[in-house]
Amino acid sequence: MNEQNESILAATLAGIPGAALFEVRGHGLWMTAPDIDVLHMARAMISLGFRLSTMSGTAQEDGETEVIYHYSMARTSLNIRTQTRGGALPSISPLERSASWIEREIHDLYAVTFVGHPNPERLLRPPQLEEGFCREPGGAAGN
Amino acid sequence: MPYTIPIGPYHPALEEPYKLSVSCIGETVQSIRLDIGFSFRAIELLAQRRNYLQDIILVERVCGICSHVHTLTFCTAAEEIAGIRVPDRARYIRTIIAELERLHSHLLWAGIGAEDMGFQTLFMEVFALREKVMDLLEAISGNRVHYEMNCIGGVNRDITDPEAILTGVKQMRAGIERDVVPGFMKSDTTRARIAGVGILTREQALQWGVVGPVARASGVATDVRSDHPYAAYEELGFKMVTRTEGDVRARVVVRAMEMQESIRLIEKALRELPGGVLRAFEGVPVIPPGEATARSEAPRGEIFYYVCSDGSDTPTRVKIRTPTFVNLPALEAMSIGQQLADMPLIQASLDPCMSCTDR
Repeated sequence: MNEQNESILAATLAGIPGAALFEVRGHGLWMTAPDIDVLHMARAMISLGFRLSTMSGTAQEDGETEVIYHYSMARTSLNIRTQTRGGALPSISPLERSASWIEREIHDLYAVTFVGHPNPERLLRPPQLEEGFCREPGGAAGN
Repeated sequence: MPYTIPIGPYHPALEEPYKLSVSCIGETVQSIRLDIGFSFRAIELLAQRRNYLQDIILVERVCGICSHVHTLTFCTAAEEIAGIRVPDRARYIRTIIAELERLHSHLLWAGIGAEDMGFQTLFMEVFALREKVMDLLEAISGNRVHYEMNCIGGVNRDITDPEAILTGVKQMRAGIERDVVPGFMKSDTTRARIAGVGILTREQALQWGVVGPVARASGVATDVRSDHPYAAYEELGFKMVTRTEGDVRARVVVRAMEMQESIRLIEKALRELPGGVLRAFEGVPVIPPGEATARSEAPRGEIFYYVCSDGSDTPTRVKIRTPTFVNLPALEAMSIGQQLADMPLIQASLDPCMSCTDR
């Protein structure tokens, strides 16, 4: 990414409520912003032409889930780390169709509620099982 | 009044399980519903309980067809965290195996596609070629499916006789140019069956975020080999193939032309194979605390890994996003308004891999 594009990206990201400064590490840009407005973020990424590669969920000890939104555009990868608020995050699926299965999977495996998801069904595991397979204490995800 | 036909989870043509419920009025598809997860093995979770050496073995088994690209992407992420520079010879060998793997995957798909079209002769010819590419992979790695070539910092095995492999690749080139390219690109039988079927427009492709040959057949010029070159693609001068029609035929043509490009890349890499060591270091890799993402172009499209390390021998997080996971939902856009009898072909044109999708 050249300097001009990087400054446009920095200015756009700075305008997102709850955003933080990003740092360059390896081939990627990384931002940690626990309170970022994810809907505003999704709209900004679409306007910049970034594609949502995927989202990574990781269970935290306090019961919340860390969620990283991995975006990419050509040689630039942008990773925005946030976390659930009371076990929930706003769904970006109404804005970004490709997020639908990703959010359904995180809901299924980490019991995160994506508020406003148009089809909040489980994705991978049978519906009769409990959500949160990857955070079961002492069970599947136990240490 | 619409009626619903359940297809799967066990399919006569595709050997992997997923359920498709097709709602129709008459013979016209009105809506579809996809159910996946029948091959869910919690591989991400398992990877977070094994050390890096064990994880290479594990992630190779996410998929039986694109196994090399999984280990390549996992190793690339670990190498980025540790700041390891892979030797040139290893980068070239990784590229050669990746392209042989793409040939294998595209040929496997082409055979299934030919059978779905009812073109049995082409199916036989294509599967005979597939055996040849598997022979080449076996000659290099000792294995027909899980090649176990990658390690963190390089590759496990050398290509000791590039000339012998080149001879085999030349035979592959002749077979592809004689049977596959005319069979899929020039045959009137093929054209009549698949042209104009299962269209995904460029706008829909961008909206659904599809990747790989499915995106490129809809005019979206995206390929990790040129967007973010890895291994030896920059030196070898990769040329992307795109089409604009967005139908089943375009997806077929893109794959057929990509096979020719793969052959060219393999031949060039074998001729220009640099000398030197195969691994950046000897012994067990030490991955310091850190995190990295890595992307590669699998036969079906972009594959993505996120690896997080706390400095121990076991990664704290391994996230795997496979191409079919993003391509399969777009089946909805391709299917609505299509004929029910075309659904097997439209599904096959995605080249879905449920082993990858479910992980």
